[in-house]
Amino acid sequence: MSTAPVPAEQGQPAHTEARTERQTKNRILSHLRKQWMLYLMIAPGIVYYIVFKYVPLAGSMIAFQNYQIFNGIQGSPWVGFDNFIYLFTYPDFYIVLRNTALIALYQLVFGFPAPIILALLFNEVRLMLAKRTLQSLFYLPHFLSWVVVGGIVFELLSSQGMVNQLRGLFGLEPILFMQQEGFFRSIVVVSGIWKEVGWGTIIYLAAIAGINPNLYEAAVMDGANRWKQIMYITIPSMAPTILVLFLLNIGNFLELGFDQIYNLLTPMTYSVGDIIETYVYRAGVLQGQYSVTTAIGLFQSVIGFVLLYIFNRLARKSEQGLW
Amino acid sequence: MMRQSTGEKAFQWINYMVLAAAAATMITPLLHLLAMSFSSPIAADSKQVFLFPVDFTTASWEQILQNGELWRSFGITLFITVAGTLISMLFSIMTAFPLSRKDFWLRRPVMLGIVITMIFNAPMIPFFLTVRELGMMNSLWALIIPGVIGTFNMIIIRTFFMGIPKELDDSARIDGCHEFRLLFQIYLPLSKPVLATVGLFYAVGYWNTFQRAVLFIRDPEKWPLQMKLRAYLTSPEELAAVNMFLGDYNFNTTTLKAATIIFATLPIIMVYPYLQKYFVKGSLLGSLKE
Repeated sequence: MSTAPVPAEQGQPAHTEARTERQTKNRILSHLRKQWMLYLMIAPGIVYYIVFKYVPLAGSMIAFQNYQIFNGIQGSPWVGFDNFIYLFTYPDFYIVLRNTALIALYQLVFGFPAPIILALLFNEVRLMLAKRTLQSLFYLPHFLSWVVVGGIVFELLSSQGMVNQLRGLFGLEPILFMQQEGFFRSIVVVSGIWKEVGWGTIIYLAAIAGINPNLYEAAVMDGANRWKQIMYITIPSMAPTILVLFLLNIGNFLELGFDQIYNLLTPMTYSVGDIIETYVYRAGVLQGQYSVTTAIGLFQSVIGFVLLYIFNRLARKSEQGLW
Repeated sequence: MMRQSTGEKAFQWINYMVLAAAAATMITPLLHLLAMSFSSPIAADSKQVFLFPVDFTTASWEQILQNGELWRSFGITLFITVAGTLISMLFSIMTAFPLSRKDFWLRRPVMLGIVITMIFNAPMIPFFLTVRELGMMNSLWALIIPGVIGTFNMIIIRTFFMGIPKELDDSARIDGCHEFRLLFQIYLPLSKPVLATVGLFYAVGYWNTFQRAVLFIRDPEKWPLQMKLRAYLTSPEELAAVNMFLGDYNFNTTTLKAATIIFATLPIIMVYPYLQKYFVKGSLLGSLKE
């Protein structure tokens, strides 16, 4: 390696600076020589994340524009918070927001604890064969699409469907469940639990499997029965897992999943079941109100982030948060 | 073994009963629809069919299996499932490998950038506009490329790669093995179980793909199976190969719908035993390790 001539008047410090600079350059060069293939390998992945994740995130700025498709982002006029003001004075927005928030709340209250309870019940099953068979059955609906599950739900709840068949056995009149506003949100919550409860137990069962068996032995010595073991060992040991999943859930609080609602919704149930995602699809994608619907999406993300921030702070006070 | 108290025994029994009843609800709806699809229309509409066909007939199945449009969307879905899974696996593996290497300088920043996208989802409208800008409207690529890497799946592969002993890298490198060969000839053969898991996750995802099709595929001739199924569920009379209102046939909209739902679900049911073998372990590998 040849040493570059160093001008005498710059003195000693400049000399070392040039040298370290050169060393860094050499290090980078030898690193690249050794690993350029890794950069080549990861390039498509990085391009994917930039184009389909970060570009749309940056594209959210059209919420502050009056976006016109032919002018693009550069050519469309900026309108400040006009879209948000429009939104907050628009009565339909509150209906959609209320529907979204209520369904989200019901899902949190009923849907979130369901896999925890199921995991505890699974854990009490002692026969391995029975446990495995039960698990296979419970995991199955996770792999069905919401179109299929929606079709099943409509079929089961139709006037001659299985549910009304059972009602008939008890001499009850058939009910048109899917067409009535009063049932919609319960159907959403129950079908959501039906589809995902089994799948949701996997992570909790892993948490239970990781509990030190000595804890149970010690508890038995102290005379704790099964119930006490569950209350004072199993559940507290699951707490960190529950907390992390709760926080991840809260961050996406208002994102209910387009597929489920879209496949259960009919115009007869719009007033109770139209949520942000279905509304954004109709008003944005179908009717071309891009800026206003992006403003809704941004509002949704901000709510999610604020909730995540608040609950993470609360969680950190007692135990530990996500960050 | 401790003697169980009466209360505990009673609890065990109740627990088994509750779980068995709940498990029955997981499979009953599908069995019911299967029974419906093989029943006569009169039996289906008069609440006689529960778990077994009544007046057994294959008339509904004959109708939908003759339906060329249904087969076309079946073929489209088969194509995007096979092509999509292969492309997704390639992209995910090539992204996961450098990110699993402690000596890769960009590991931390890139990983952080990816995890951020898990918390901040791209909003629907800008995502839609981006894909449209790229000229993918009405193209089957819109069902594959915009979601080609599932972050969760990629992290599963990465976590597995991180568990492979580094001594292998060194000995391979002494033999003059470059990074691509290291990945494809040494890492991949060792990762078969995890690749099977992730491959099946991707395949199920592509098979069930719906929202992207709703957003990007306007041309009914290019609809994947789930879109077609949805359309048929709202207007089932189009399922029949004949005009079902002219003449007396041994099927009706109820039995046709049941047969179509089973038709669209059958491939999932068929791979389910394989899925099962891998997915539990695989889904737990997804936890972030750093």
